[in-house]
Amino acid sequence: MTSHGDDALSSRTGAPGGDDRLSEDRSLLQQRLAVRELLDTEVSYLHVLQLCASDIRSRLQQLPQGDLDVLFSNIDDIIKVNSRLLHDLQETASREEEQVQLIGNTFLEFQEELEQVYKVYCASYEQALLLVETYRKEPELQREIQGIIEAVLPQAGPSGLSFLLVIPLQRITKYPLLLQKILENTLPDASAYAVLQRATSALQDVVTNINEYKRRKEVASKYTKVEPLSLRERLARINTHTLSKKTTRLSQLLKQEAGLVPRTEDKEFDDLEEKFHWVSLCVTELKSNVAAYLDNLEAFLRFRPQDYNLEIPGGPVVQYCYLARDLQLQAFPEFKQQLEAQVWQPLCSLAKALAGPQNLIKKRLDKLLDFERVEEKLLEVGSMTYEEEAARHTYQALNSLLVAELPQFNQLAMRWLSQILCAFVTLQRDLAKQVLQRAEDSLAQLPHHHLSEPAFRKLVEDALGQTSHQLHAFQENFEKVLPPPTTQPLLPGAERQVQALLSRYGPGKLYQVTSNISGAGTLDLTLPRGHIVALLQNKDTKGNSSRWLVDTGGHRGYVPAGKLEVYHVVPTEEELRGQARPHKDSQHQTPEPTSAPVPSVPTVTQVVAVYPFVARSSHEVSLQAGQRVTVLEAHDKKGNPEWSLVEVNGQRGYVPSSFLARAPSPAPWGWSLPS
Amino acid sequence: MSRIPFKIGQPKKQIVPKTVERDFEREYGKLQQLEEQTKRLQKDMRKSTDADLAMSKSAVKISLDLLSNPLCEQDQDFLNMVTALDTAMKRMDAFNQEKVNQIQKTVIEPLKKFGSVFPSLNMAVKRREQALQDYRRLQAKVEKYEEKEKTGPVLAKLHQAREELRPVRDDFEAKNKQLLDEMPRFYNSRLDYFQPSFESLIRAQVVYYSEMHKIFGDLTQQLDQPGCPDEQRERENEARLSELRALSIVADD
Repeated sequence: MTSHGDDALSSRTGAPGGDDRLSEDRSLLQQRLAVRELLDTEVSYLHVLQLCASDIRSRLQQLPQGDLDVLFSNIDDIIKVNSRLLHDLQETASREEEQVQLIGNTFLEFQEELEQVYKVYCASYEQALLLVETYRKEPELQREIQGIIEAVLPQAGPSGLSFLLVIPLQRITKYPLLLQKILENTLPDASAYAVLQRATSALQDVVTNINEYKRRKEVASKYTKVEPLSLRERLARINTHTLSKKTTRLSQLLKQEAGLVPRTEDKEFDDLEEKFHWVSLCVTELKSNVAAYLDNLEAFLRFRPQDYNLEIPGGPVVQYCYLARDLQLQAFPEFKQQLEAQVWQPLCSLAKALAGPQNLIKKRLDKLLDFERVEEKLLEVGSMTYEEEAARHTYQALNSLLVAELPQFNQLAMRWLSQILCAFVTLQRDLAKQVLQRAEDSLAQLPHHHLSEPAFRKLVEDALGQTSHQLHAFQENFEKVLPPPTTQPLLPGAERQVQALLSRYGPGKLYQVTSNISGAGTLDLTLPRGHIVALLQNKDTKGNSSRWLVDTGGHRGYVPAGKLEVYHVVPTEEELRGQARPHKDSQHQTPEPTSAPVPSVPTVTQVVAVYPFVARSSHEVSLQAGQRVTVLEAHDKKGNPEWSLVEVNGQRGYVPSSFLARAPSPAPWGWSLPS
Repeated sequence: MSRIPFKIGQPKKQIVPKTVERDFEREYGKLQQLEEQTKRLQKDMRKSTDADLAMSKSAVKISLDLLSNPLCEQDQDFLNMVTALDTAMKRMDAFNQEKVNQIQKTVIEPLKKFGSVFPSLNMAVKRREQALQDYRRLQAKVEKYEEKEKTGPVLAKLHQAREELRPVRDDFEAKNKQLLDEMPRFYNSRLDYFQPSFESLIRAQVVYYSEMHKIFGDLTQQLDQPGCPDEQRERENEARLSELRALSIVADD
């Protein structure tokens, strides 16, 4: 290529005058040829592309669509751009003098587009080649593909598909060379020269950028993924190579920490990384907080107070049930759904996207440590191995990739985050609107809807106060229903015993057995129901207060406290008379003994005949059941207590003692009959 | 209710007419149902308000954590947004607490009070039952003596048995009557008792959600983001995701 240029120069310096003219003409001719070459090759290139894209691709039916997408990538876009490029280039042909300049301008215009469209194609080229390789392995398929290609483009030759696929790559790298050729044959002082020069270097940049882009993509795809390795897989991966790598890195890091070795400070990167770190923190925190919020919402929706039935047919209770049901079936589930779709899902996607950059940052640091060590070595030794060179390249690739794209990432992430937060706020507003609408409808049906809130609150407070009293009254009424009476009228023989206990211990210590007690231990008593005992101690020797020590009048022992009830002794007539204050029994009429003048003989007592008795001799006297009699002597002349001397109806005589009893105890105490 | 574990003397005569027994069981049955429902309602109400409070607290945490992120120092717009959000959340939490307090006072407390009557009622019914058992027992005893040959001692015992029976029967009748009167009254009292509570409950919702609507409505305006329909939101989110994925540093999956 440059030989022409040399020739042009030598011929110029060699022959003055007419020779100049000749060499000028020659360069001009060369220039025109180069231009022609550019245009012609562009035409045929485009033609081939179109054949590939339409004829060949459509006939490759047996390949799945996914494969075709990878193979042909964005060939349609390339065709579009190149068609326009060709059109513009062809237009320049009409303007002969300025053609070269116009060509230069055209390329400068198309620089950006060419870079965008070709870098995509180039980036997927490797993958396309892999596919071609797999096809080659299947002879049947290979033959078919070859057949199709040969039918359309026989010049493709035996390598068929790979020959075709590489054509765009070849073309884009050819542009700088073609332009260079034109440039060489252009006079430096021509106006076109500067433009053309710029165009040439521009296209050169395009190629460089495309390469760089491809390399970055390769590096990124290598390191962005974190494979979920099991422990075993991790262990399997450890070999001497990886171990040495890791230990070297670690020692490098330690050296840095210890200050033995300078750390490569890269403020720009560190700032970027810091910001990325905060963005990640923001995203992950928000995600977990939203998760907690959603959990709480779910928990809240689990409770359904409206489901309980108080059997209240109308009014606010029913209104509330309708409202609550409505909210729970519609408004809230909708809210939850939207929250999940518009806040939770995006957050999850955003959080996932963090993984790539995180891995790359980590890998960059690893490579940096490798790189630093290599630099050290370089200083010491003066050279580095191929591997070490590769490490340096990888570090640099990673670094430049991150520096280029992290700011974009941060910005995009922040923008999305803001949108998500706005969505959250909007959804809250919408929920409020939904609930409010329904609640206000319910409110309108309520009896006090016209009242202001403070007035209503006062009203409710008063109402609740009143009903609280009412409830209290109910409670009291129910509590007045007391345990059934457990006292039985005493058997006649027990009278004495009670008297004895009473005189010895006093009235406050007497208890009656409420149900049969059967004693277990040696000190435990066995007593029938109704028996009267006196309390000696309300706990046993071990301090157990449910086991009481009692006196039955004959025996002493332990009984369970739960089977005892306080026994109220009916006062005798004397005690009644003796008492200054009246007996406070406001209940059933206590049969108060009439003030029948009875001689105050201490042993005389008023009793009632329990059973009828027919006198069989003149010493005896007849009794009727329930009749009141006065006992004169509680034994006969011989002292036999089985007979008592009584006076009844003015008559005196003996009657069996067992037919007599004290006046029945008053009506069940503590029970107030309803008035 | 008429379960007698040991058949210590079953009277022959049906001392409590079947209709009375049926009425009693029906009335008591209704009250037992009501007791269960009010108990569970109270529990659910309480749990619901607890969950409500938890939800509000977690909303406050969202804005609190955002506010503490160093990004706020760097990015003024972000700071403004997050501050506004935080203010809104805190205010909502305050209103929520107020709402819950009102519900506690006018719904949960009254429910509790209503429920506290039931133990007394249940005890009263038990005592009536006890009285009934005693009544039955003594009635059987009387009948037993009535059937025997009328000798002196037997007559004496019969007389005594009748004497014992009388107060017990009176006691039962009195208890029975009182409960048959009181139970329906108590049951009906629920109608007037609960209406104010539920009216209050609805009103509390209206108060709270009006505030919520206003606060978040204002905030939406302030954040200057137009409210967009769901599909548009979805597209926006997809667009954001594709933007990110277009970067090489973001892994494709």
